[in-house]
Amino acid sequence: MMLLRLAWRNIWRNRRRSLIILTSVIVGLMAIIFVEGVVRGFMRQALQNQLGAHTAHIQIHRAGYHDNPDLARLMDRPDEVDSALADERRLAAASRRVLTLGLLSSARNSSGVMFVGIEPERERYVTTIVSSIVAGRSIGMGPREILVSERMADALDVKLGDKVVAMSSTRDGKVGSELFRIVGLYRTPISEFDRYHVYIPYATAQSLVHAEGLSAEFAAIILPEADVTQVRDSLRTVLGSSYEVLSYEDVIPTLVMQVELTEKSMLIYYVIIGIAMIFGIINTMMMSVYERINEFGVLKALGMKDLALFRLVLTEAALLGTVGTTIGILLGSGVTMYTEYAGLNFAWFAEGLSSWGSGAIVYPEFKLSSVLVGSLLIIVMCILAAVHPAFKAVRLQPVEAIRHV
Amino acid sequence: MNTHIIRAEALEKTYEDNGVPVQALHAIDAGFEQGEFTVIAGPSGSGKTTLLNLLGALDTPTGGRVIFEGTPLAQLSKSQLAALRLRKFGFIFQAYNLIPVLSAVENIEFVLTLQGIPDRERRKRALAVMKELGIDALADKRPNKMSGGQQQRVAIGRAIVTDPAVILADEPTANLDSATGASLLDLMGQMNRDHGITFLFSSHDPQVIERGRRVIRLRDGRIESDVLQGRS
Repeated sequence: MMLLRLAWRNIWRNRRRSLIILTSVIVGLMAIIFVEGVVRGFMRQALQNQLGAHTAHIQIHRAGYHDNPDLARLMDRPDEVDSALADERRLAAASRRVLTLGLLSSARNSSGVMFVGIEPERERYVTTIVSSIVAGRSIGMGPREILVSERMADALDVKLGDKVVAMSSTRDGKVGSELFRIVGLYRTPISEFDRYHVYIPYATAQSLVHAEGLSAEFAAIILPEADVTQVRDSLRTVLGSSYEVLSYEDVIPTLVMQVELTEKSMLIYYVIIGIAMIFGIINTMMMSVYERINEFGVLKALGMKDLALFRLVLTEAALLGTVGTTIGILLGSGVTMYTEYAGLNFAWFAEGLSSWGSGAIVYPEFKLSSVLVGSLLIIVMCILAAVHPAFKAVRLQPVEAIRHV
Repeated sequence: MNTHIIRAEALEKTYEDNGVPVQALHAIDAGFEQGEFTVIAGPSGSGKTTLLNLLGALDTPTGGRVIFEGTPLAQLSKSQLAALRLRKFGFIFQAYNLIPVLSAVENIEFVLTLQGIPDRERRKRALAVMKELGIDALADKRPNKMSGGQQQRVAIGRAIVTDPAVILADEPTANLDSATGASLLDLMGQMNRDHGITFLFSSHDPQVIERGRRVIRLRDGRIESDVLQGRS
């Protein structure tokens, strides 16, 4: 306790110097906690938006469809899948879809699109597409209704109530076409998604591609989300090899990997901040040691052992690191948690964020365990920074040190 | 039979001064018995501080040896020497050398902390010593709030609180006025009589030399005289 008290008071001998190094630890840590929160929130939002817009937690297709989404690979017994899903107690919602690539034309323009045939009353519980409608209403009142994105409406130079023509290949190799009226416009946070996806009634989509009674895809939401892999494996067993049951990690592996990699790489940021701080701490501790050479000589003369002296210098650095880190954690966490609640508006580069899929409002995500690991790393680095000055103190000869002025 | 608590045998010390070897001590032979009150006197550069440092295991000789309680110091490791200084020696320096961030009582307690004595006991012992030295009112004062005489009294407290066998005092009155110096010498004389602590001083202060029961005079690193005096 006495050594701790001595170390603590030694830190404050040169108040200004200690405050400068403390400030650098606090600001550095605050910044990294906040940046980590923003990056984590940004990546999570991109993933959640992707899941919410279309991917969902689990997708079921006929075997081979994911790699080669051909109309010849539609599921001919969708009721079998529906029934397997109904038996899964962790299923929160599921929808079925018919998907086909095609061309959507207005009187003035045309665009290549992905037609997604949905049952709105089921899809609204699986994806956010119905809740993303910004003008008009959802499809479902009639067979020739179409929901397009604002971006698509701009591209085709159409508005709500206008007619558009859909063309797509059919299962039997012909070209199917239908006339639709735009009943709703949607906008998701993912601009790239909006560029291609248009929604039409499920039965109409089947008719467009001459696939009555067939489905391309089931999308399901699982609760809790942590059980997705378990449920996927269980459905694989139930449905057998005629189907492919994929979790979102299988469907969008690149995005999932980016999210995980980003989270893990945050530790590197802590190391970088730690390294930057190390030089400040080394400088502070070296100055502190050189200023007290005479005193270290006295301590040694009084019988203080080298190890105790070494520990004293290290304790001073550890205290500096701990105090700075604690204040840095408190301030950094406070700012991150506030913005987690209030959101950060990155409207000035909304376009870039939107194409990535996170949306212009980013909600930072505070993760205590990651902050604690990072902070511990910084304290350890502070202590390591004091090793060299501590050795300097230990190597002093008592007589020479006492004579030092 | 030899009764010396500490003994110098053919002790030599040579320094390098800008690459030039300077012999500070030449074959010093001297023994000190328990309870002595001895002054090592001599002009500046005569080697008295060097001799004191060697006797107190603060420095290592270049020739000869120091024997403490029958053990040659050269046989001890750095850690053992630190333990010896902690348990057997007390040091009083010319510049007091208190730890500036600790209060008077904490400075005295500090050596007991190094000895691993529990909090409550060391505070009790430190306060008892302060009371004996008449400085208990200074307990919470930091060194920069004390006069030189008060600081040196705290330094004496720090030196005696561990009940050392030998106290080595290097020019303890050099920075003090003569009245303060005299009162401190009285105090150390009393410690010597009451507790039987051996005191070895280095000094060229006549009032210190006058009070030594034994005075060893050095000149140019050699013992010039070694005499017993009548009073302390």
